[in-house]
Formats: sequence, C-alpha cells, structure tokens
Amino acid sequence: MSDDRPRLLDPVFISKLARLDLQARLVVEGFLTGLHRSPYHGFSVEFAEHRQYMPGDPLRHLDWKVLAKSDRKYLKQYQEETNLRAHLLVDTSASMGYGTSGVTKLDYARQLAASLAYLILGQHDAVGLFGFAQGRGEQIPARSTMGHLRPLLLLLERLTAGGGTDFTASLHTLAERITRRGLVVILSDLLDEPEKIAQAIHHFRHRRHEVLVFHILDPQEVAFDFEREAVYVDVEGGPRVTTRPRELRDDYRARIQAWRARLRTICIEKRADYMALTTDVPYDRALLEYLAKRSRLL
Amino acid sequence: MPTFSFLNPGFLWALPAAAIPLLIHLLSRRRLPEIPFPTTSFLQTLEPREIRRIRLRELLLLLLRTLALLLFVLAFARPALTPADAVTHAAAAVGILLDDSESMAAVDERGHARIDEAKARAAALVEASRSGDAILLASSTREEAPRPDRGDDRVRLRRAVDRIEALPRPASMAPTLGGLRRAMERSPLPFRELYVVSDFQRSNFSDAARAELVRAATAGMRVFLVPVAGSSLPNRAFESIDPEIRPGPEGRGLELRARLVNHASAPSDRIAIRLREGEALIGGGDASLRAGERAWIAMPIEERGLGVSGSSRETRVTAEMDEDALATDDVWHAVLGAPRRLRVLRIVEARGGAPPRFTALALDPSRNGASGFSVEEGSPASLLSLTAGRADVVLLEDVAALSGDAEARLRAFVRDGGGLVVAMGPHADPDYYSRRFFPGLIDLSLQSAARAPDGGSYELRARAAGHPILEGLSVEVGAPLSKARLTGLVRGNVTTPRAEVVVQTSSGLPVVVAAPSVAVFLSSLSDDWGELPFSGAYVPLIRGMVSHAARAESGAPPSLVVGAAPRMRLAAAPSGGIRVRGPRDYVSTATVEAEGTGFRAVALDPAPAPGFYQFDTEGQMLGTVAVNVDPVESDLTTLPPDSLRAALPPDALERLTVLPTTAALTRHLQATRRGEELWLPLLLLAAVLLAVEIALASARRLSA
Repeated sequence: MSDDRPRLLDPVFISKLARLDLQARLVVEGFLTGLHRSPYHGFSVEFAEHRQYMPGDPLRHLDWKVLAKSDRKYLKQYQEETNLRAHLLVDTSASMGYGTSGVTKLDYARQLAASLAYLILGQHDAVGLFGFAQGRGEQIPARSTMGHLRPLLLLLERLTAGGGTDFTASLHTLAERITRRGLVVILSDLLDEPEKIAQAIHHFRHRRHEVLVFHILDPQEVAFDFEREAVYVDVEGGPRVTTRPRELRDDYRARIQAWRARLRTICIEKRADYMALTTDVPYDRALLEYLAKRSRLL
Repeated sequence: MPTFSFLNPGFLWALPAAAIPLLIHLLSRRRLPEIPFPTTSFLQTLEPREIRRIRLRELLLLLLRTLALLLFVLAFARPALTPADAVTHAAAAVGILLDDSESMAAVDERGHARIDEAKARAAALVEASRSGDAILLASSTREEAPRPDRGDDRVRLRRAVDRIEALPRPASMAPTLGGLRRAMERSPLPFRELYVVSDFQRSNFSDAARAELVRAATAGMRVFLVPVAGSSLPNRAFESIDPEIRPGPEGRGLELRARLVNHASAPSDRIAIRLREGEALIGGGDASLRAGERAWIAMPIEERGLGVSGSSRETRVTAEMDEDALATDDVWHAVLGAPRRLRVLRIVEARGGAPPRFTALALDPSRNGASGFSVEEGSPASLLSLTAGRADVVLLEDVAALSGDAEARLRAFVRDGGGLVVAMGPHADPDYYSRRFFPGLIDLSLQSAARAPDGGSYELRARAAGHPILEGLSVEVGAPLSKARLTGLVRGNVTTPRAEVVVQTSSGLPVVVAAPSVAVFLSSLSDDWGELPFSGAYVPLIRGMVSHAARAESGAPPSLVVGAAPRMRLAAAPSGGIRVRGPRDYVSTATVEAEGTGFRAVALDPAPAPGFYQFDTEGQMLGTVAVNVDPVESDLTTLPPDSLRAALPPDALERLTVLPTTAALTRHLQATRRGEELWLPLLLLAAVLLAVEIALASARRLSA
C-alpha cells in the first residue's frame, strides 16, 4: 500500500479517475497511510484507544489509573472533536482552465478541494465550498456530516473555468457572506493585482477568519519553457505578446518569482498562510500544509 | 584612378547567395502560431525593451551573415586593383631574353643551377601573359631574331622555355638584344616590355650590350633586368694547353703545360690536374693559384703513353680537374704534336770579334737541344737561303737593317708560319724597322734609342697577365720582372690593338711587344744596355718570346670553341670530299680554302660540344682538332644590375627597372598583369565576420 502512495497523490494519475469521490478517498487514504505514527494523529475529548507511552509524549495524556493498577504507562488517545468550520474557495476564472501537463489548474484545485473536504469531514470538522469567479458563484454552506460530502463533490464536478478575473471582488463578496469565523482556504492562481489580493485577505482577517492560500500555477507559468517563437495570447482577453521564449525566459522567471515572493510577503503581513503550488506537485504537500495550519488553530 | 576588376568574374553569378540569410529571416517571420498563456502580462512588461534589443542583434547578425557571404563570393571572384600607372592596361609586346650561355650552367653552394632559376623566372613571365600579348622569347646564344608568339599559347611558350638549356657557348648579348629590340619595334602593340633574365656575368655585358639596353629604353620600351645569380661564384678553369710537348727540366722526360685561371677573390685550394689519353692516365700535376691569378702549369707526361694515330703522330689529351661551380671548363681537350725541339736561327752581324752569345746560351746551354731549343748561328746574308724546313723561329739580334732580298725572304718565312723575334740594340736602326720592316708584321712604330735619364735605369714590369711570353715567370701584373738594371731602350709606340705590350718599364715605355708569330724586344738582349743577361728573368723571357713566336708556326690552329665551325690546316688539298666527325654524333662535310701557302678545311656545321673532331677523306684520316669551351664564360663574376642604369640618360632612367628577387618579379607581374589581388583580405574579413556572428549567436544561446 505504501508503495502506491506517491501514485495516489500524483495529480496526473488521480485526474484519470472518473469519480471525484473516489479521487478524494484515494488521495486522503493514501495520505493518511503515509502519516502513520505522525504527530498529526489528533487528540480529542472523546476517548478512542490506548497507546503505549513513548519517551517524549506529553504527560497530561498519561492514563494514571492504568499506571496505578498495572504499573504500565499508557497514553489515552481521543477522537478529536472541534468546531472548526472550513470554507474552501475555488477560483473558477478562465485562467484556471489552463494546463499543459494534462491537468488544468482548476482540475488540480478541484481534486485538492475534494481531498481536503474528505479529510476535514473525516476529522468531524465542518466544511463548506464556494466556487467563485467574476459575477457568478455557487456555494454550499459548511456542515460536518459525512453525508455532506456528496453535494460538495457534485458542486466541485460542476465547476468550470470561465469569466474574467475580478477575483478580489468575489473574495470581498464571500468575506461578507461567511458570517461565522472559520478557516478560509483559497485555491486560486491569484492572477490579480497583489494589492487587491492583500485587501481581500485583510477583509477575511478583519472578519476574524484564518486564511490559507494555495497559490496554484501551471509549471509552464513558472518556467516559461517554450521553445518556438509564437504569439502568446492571454486566456482572459488580456494582451497578445509575440516573442521568442528563450530571449525572455530569464527575465520572466525572475518576475514570476518576485511576484510569488510578493504574494507570500502579503500573506505573512496579513498573518495568512501561503503555499505556492504547481499542478505537478503531489497533493500531500498541500494536505500537510492544511493539517499544520489546523494544528496551529486548535 | 586605379582600375578595379575581377579575375574570376564567373563567380559573381553567385552574388545572389548573399541574400540567403535575408530570405531565411523573412521566411521565419511567417504567421506565427498562437499559444494561450495566462501570464502574458508578465511578458508584456518585458517585451518592448527586450524585443528592441533582440531585433537589433538579429539585424546585426543578419548583416554579418549577409556581409560574410558577400565577401566569400567576392573573394572567389578574385577582385584586383590595378594602379593607374601600371604599364599594361592593354596588351603588350613582351620580349624575354633568357641567358643560356655557359655560365648559366654554374651551380651555387646550394646546388641550384642558374639556368633553372632563369627558366623559372621566364616561366613566371609566360604564365603572366594575357591573351592579347605578343611574346618574343630569345636566348643569348642564338642570334636569329625571335618570332612573336600569342600570349594565350602558354603551353607552347612553356615548352619553349623548358627546352632551353645552358649551352657551352659564350653569350652574344649585344646581337641578341639588338635582334630582340628590332623584333619588338616591329610589333603593332603600343606597350613594349623587355625582360633580360640573366646572371649578368660581367664579361657578357660589353659596351655594345649596354648600348643596346640604352637603345631599348630610349625607344620607349620598359626594360626589366631580372638577375638570377645571388652573387659571384669562385671558379677555376682551364684556359689553354700548349700543344707543344717540351723536354722536361734539365732535358729529362717530357712535360706539358696548361694555363689555369682562378676566378676568385681568395687563393685556390690545391688544384689536382689529371692528363688522360682516352681512359689512360698519362700524366698530371697540381697547383695553387692566388686570387685572380692566371698561370701556366707544367706537368710531367709519360712518353710511352703518347699514342700514334693516323699517318701523323698526334696525341689526343684530355686534362681534367675536380669539378667546381662550372663543370664545363674543368675539362680541356688538346691534340698534341710529336715532341720536338724548336729550331732557332739566330742572326747577328759580324762586327769584329765574336759576338756575345747570351741568347744562344739561354736557349740551349748544353748545345745538344736537351732544353727543347736548338740554335743555329747565322748572318743577315744567310736569310737569303731561309726556308720553312730550316728553322722554326728567326731571332734578329741587334741587326742594323736587312737587305731587300733578305727582308722579303724573312717576310715569306713568317707568312708561311715561321716565327720571328726581333731584339733592338745599339746598332739596330729604329727608323728602318719602324718604316720598312715592321709594317705587315707588327703594328709598332719606333723612335730613337734613349738612355735612362741621369744615369738611372729602367725597371721592367709585367703588363699583360698570363701572356705566354711570361709563362716561365711567376709575376703578377705591375710587379717588377727583375732587379737587373736596364739603361737604354728604343722608344716604341703600339699603334693598333693587334700588337700587345707584354712588358713595359715602370714609366710605361714598351719593352716587349707581341703580335701573332712575332715578338719584339725594344732593348738589347746582350749586355750593351745594362745587366739583364745576368738576371734570373733573362732565360725565361728569351724562351717565352721564342716559344710565343714559334706557336703559330707549330701548326696548331688557334683555339677552337664550341659554336664555331671546326677547321684545320692542310698541307695539300685532298682530292675527295672531307668529312668531319665529332662528339654527340656530329657529322659534317667541310670545304677547303687556300690559306697562305697551304689550305684550310672548314666544317659546314658549328661544333655542338667540346671534344675531338676528326677530319678524313675517302677513308684516310687527315687529322684531329680539339674544340673547347670559350674561357670567357669561366669568370662567374656578376655585374650589379643597378650599374647598368648608369649608362642611361636621365629621361630613360625610369624605363629601366631591376627585379632582383622572385618576390619582386611576382609583385611586378601581379601589379601590372592582374593588379593587386584582394581575395585574401576579403576572405580574412569574411572569416572574422563569421567568427563574430558565431560568437554573438553563441552568447545569445548561452544567455538564453
């Protein structure tokens, strides 16, 4: 099973599976298998099982009764029970439809969102979903029952890329719409002005939401590894540029890196978490990032 | 204005190839594919600045490629720049005088023959000829006028140059130059160039040859001197062999004398000489000569080795020395007569008492002829019965005057080949000799006898180096002949070049004057005017004069040279035709002419090579003559070609140019025939442009 784990987390492999629920289950189970004995196994108020004490474990979870009776050291593990409400915000603007390695950015975002939803519901947290683009958007409010997974996945499957990139306006709308504080997970390519994005994140933070940004780009958008001279057309009706990639490659890469660094800085300033992803990065990195964020919140 | 031209204009058709980079550039700007890309806004900010830079560089690369291709094509078309003052914008009559005289066979220290170098230069001239040119190729040993050849018939011209070899003949520089000049003047072409390809041997460029060069330059021709010899070469050579075999020292054995010359500015090494009859070695000797010295070398020869051929006793002897720079003059052929004594009829006047016998003692001290001379005493009256069979040489010693009959008999004797030595003295009548006796015999006029001033004496000095009269005296020109005092002499004056002053006083008064068969001593051979008979120079001087006078009588013809018709004297005219055979399958018929009291057979064809030439008639051998190379070619001293400019008038100076090296000739031909070729700089420039293009393109790829 462990041998299959990387494959199950590979976006290209997963994207070949037809059903999103199956995709999400495979991803999360593959991910959790890899997390065996990991520190992310949660602690909750509801007892789950005993585990032998290992040096370094916190003493507050030691089962003193067992120790008194049998002189053996066991830790009590609990089923975690939180009131975390996670809101998955998936960008469906036209640029998210771009992909060069068999997976579009939207595909990647969709699978990552499904996996996150599966994981979150598995941890008995509430999860909601927002697919947003300029002027349109669909929403499923956060709930924590596993039965909630199906409508989530159905909505994810319905999401298609299209429309303009007035991304920040949509974020502001969502910030107003989500009333209870929770964890806002943004899955987007963030193709908007950084200052506007900063304002949108600030808006969420102002509403006391925690924010986790998955910045999803296609590998070609980072590397600009094209060879031939061509007219490069903006997918959202932006500029057309005729160029030889090799002439501009270095400068372009430098600018992309600067842009990502700028976004990271903005997130740090706004006390949001930022993770740069490309569609060839396995999902476990994103899932780990989510778990780390969750553990910080609890 | 310089003229610009292409030597391979056919390549200019490839000029459109220079447009290939431009075409590629334009084709590459076809409709480009559209690729959707979300982050074009990042590209857009980069593009204008970068595109400008890229376009500039692409234009530069395009320019470099186009220029490089253009330069390549132009280089292959061989562009040439002809200076405005080049002589041959139009076709020219080009005369090439190739020196093929014997000296051109000389080999330098590196083993290069002068003739090979000369042929290479002539071939370069032929190669440079153009289609309209008329080429006149002449050689310095053939005097016939050359015929013009078309300049584009290079194959034939090249073969003609290849066929030329150095011949064992002297150069006839003046006649061949004159013939070539006249042939060129007949050419209708406006430009005329005369190239003299030669070693510029000093002896070849006489005043007449220089005058021909001046005539060519002043006639509007451009004269180019092309020297092929880097420097003068030292050379030793035979110049003659005395056909008389003489008794050896003190009458023992036989000896042969050869005259050698050392044309060098340093003394020679020991020169070993071998004498052969056929293959058999019959004698030899060795000698060392000072710088520039000529000397007679006496060598022992075996009597038993002397063979007999035909009806007359004659020996064909070949003298050899080790080969040096010029091999042809290191061999000398001679036909020797039978060893014999010279019979001298000494005529003195009886003046009471026995006359001094200094000369008789000098010639035949033992009175048995062992010295090679036998002396018979006689009075002027005894001349009346003089015949050729009685004496070889008549010596008149202080005879006042001769009777008419005696004088006529003596003249007939000399005419028939007899020799005559006349010595003055206190009794001889200068006026008689000057006015009556000498005319017809020797061109010498006499004045009165003179005594040395203030009781002093005359000092004798050699004037003609290497003259046979001096062969027994090892003296240089201008050196004192003797320390003996000579107090009186008859003042004489040589009137024509046919008479030669051999010995003179330190003040320039002639003492010994020589002409063919005749020698005159202008002082006393007795002790009347000084103590000459007691000096060491006396005996060799007397013997030298008698030998010189007898030489013509000996029957040996004057030295025959290659290129001249072989000839020999005959006592009687043969009844049948005469055939002459010689080396290199030489066969010729001969004509018979009367000569004096005898006859002379002259071959119709010139001798092609040195060697022995045999005359026979109807199976009967008449005799053999030896033909040798002309010694004039042995002196390999070269003339600085620039010195030939001295004779030119100032306005013709620029018409004579010296092309001293192969490179100078090549440059000259390049400039005047093809112009200054520019293909190499163009090719280099194209290579540099390509290198820059590659460097720029590589830098772009690396940065990309």
